[in-house]
Amino acid sequence: MRRCRAIMRATALEMSSEPLGMLLTLCAVAAVTFAAAFHIHQFGEPSRMARDAGFSVILAGSSAYAVFCTIKAFRRELESGTLQMALAHPVSRTAFFVSKAAGSFFACCGFSVTVFGAAAVSAVGAEAGWAIAAPKGDISRIWGVSLALNAATMLLPLVAAAALNRFFRFRFAASATRIALACSVAGAAAAVALAQGGGLVPGALGLVRRMLPVAVLAAVPSAVFTAAAAAFAVKMRDGAAAGATGLLALAAVPAIGNYYLADALAKGGSLPWLYVLEAAVAAVPFVAGFLVLGSAFLKGKDLG
Amino acid sequence: MDCVIELKGVSKTFRDFWLRPTVKAVDGLDLAVARGEVFGLLGPNGSGKSTTIKMILGLIAPNAGTVRIFGLEPRTVAARAKIGYLPELSYLHPFLTATETLAYYAGLCGLDRATAKERTRQLLDMVGLAGVAGRAVGSFSKGMARRVALASALVGRPELLVMDEPTSGLDPVSTNEVKTLIHTLSRAGMTILMTSHLLADAEDVCSRVCILDGGRKAAEGKIGEIGGSLEQFFLSKVGEGRDFKVAEFLK
Repeated sequence: MRRCRAIMRATALEMSSEPLGMLLTLCAVAAVTFAAAFHIHQFGEPSRMARDAGFSVILAGSSAYAVFCTIKAFRRELESGTLQMALAHPVSRTAFFVSKAAGSFFACCGFSVTVFGAAAVSAVGAEAGWAIAAPKGDISRIWGVSLALNAATMLLPLVAAAALNRFFRFRFAASATRIALACSVAGAAAAVALAQGGGLVPGALGLVRRMLPVAVLAAVPSAVFTAAAAAFAVKMRDGAAAGATGLLALAAVPAIGNYYLADALAKGGSLPWLYVLEAAVAAVPFVAGFLVLGSAFLKGKDLG
Repeated sequence: MDCVIELKGVSKTFRDFWLRPTVKAVDGLDLAVARGEVFGLLGPNGSGKSTTIKMILGLIAPNAGTVRIFGLEPRTVAARAKIGYLPELSYLHPFLTATETLAYYAGLCGLDRATAKERTRQLLDMVGLAGVAGRAVGSFSKGMARRVALASALVGRPELLVMDEPTSGLDPVSTNEVKTLIHTLSRAGMTILMTSHLLADAEDVCSRVCILDGGRKAAEGKIGEIGGSLEQFFLSKVGEGRDFKVAEFLK
């Protein structure tokens, strides 16, 4: 178990140190923020656009993060020779592969949590904007506090990470990714506390709570893509592995409609956790299959 | 003889995508390394030294023959728990600091956090990198990275240390330190298998050597039993016909 923990920790650190991962995270937060801020259609609900943008970015962004960052992490191990060093130690190839894939998935979960926090801030902000504008008959706009909180999630990590790097030699991308995660969660908590505590959006906490199962559901495909990308990366080069995982994603497109049940939240509705559980259970054989395939690829591979 | 490494009729042929043989790296190699020996694997470039080492580590599977480490299959976790490996190039994660690198490899050896921390401190002190322990190894010079790799190889307190060109990229002072370290580890009972292009290094530290040429064993014996210098012996075995015909080219 210690061996697996060491591999998972190093992989999660590697992926959070990846500038590509940091850029994806900050771009995702920006997309969630601005899609809600510049909304045109509300579909009868002020927070609809903010919610849907958040879920779309979690679905697409976490899948992209899983594919590109996982492939990069595995290919780097294979091409730089660090895999040889690791496998010369007392760790089995299967344990190494599964632990590394798990580490990649945890990093991917960090991405999803960051985006979910930003989406929650935007959704609460849209409700608050509506509460302020409706009595005057104005077009609702996203709440300024929410915009400020999400802007802080985008900018503060960069500034703080630069300062930590300059004065304490902390890793820039890893610090920025972690601070973005902390800012996003803290921002969501602050938005809920201010909107609900100030009486502006009495159901703010309920709204975020209703969003959670859909966000988890939208993040489920990233588990399959992480395992698939890991398996393909052992056998193929970067481009080919990304292409193979992309083809798999295309094959999964019709099924994504079933996963994507954001509509259930319309008009105060909610998505039962049982649906999420069913989706997670349905993903298990695919994840297990790709982990078995990847382990078999690695077992048969000559390193050197 | 209490054999730590035992190779019997080991062959390795690399193949392309269509499984056509491309190169026969090792051909019917028999080798036995006894406990406590400092064994040198010598040979020109492409003679099969690194392939042999990788088969001993279980990184490459032989096509024929058997490899046994402490009587075990090299791919088993039990066998690799007794091995430390210093590769020819220092394969390290550039984003990890020296401390994190050693903690990572200590974790792979299954050490608990307290032991890993203590051993990391001792090893960084031993290789003279305690002052830069918090710096990412990606920013290290080749020699410093080599020291981290050496510390990583020793973190699990192995019984067998496999070193591929251990002095590669080191300055004369560091080379001397590595030789002293090899002597110290050998006196402490560790078995060491090393490759080197520098015959003087092999002469200084090895108790027995095997010379490979074209994947086959050209000679094997104790340093003292080989007549003359190791260089003369080496050239007599594998040096013929290897001149670059410079004069002919310059015409």
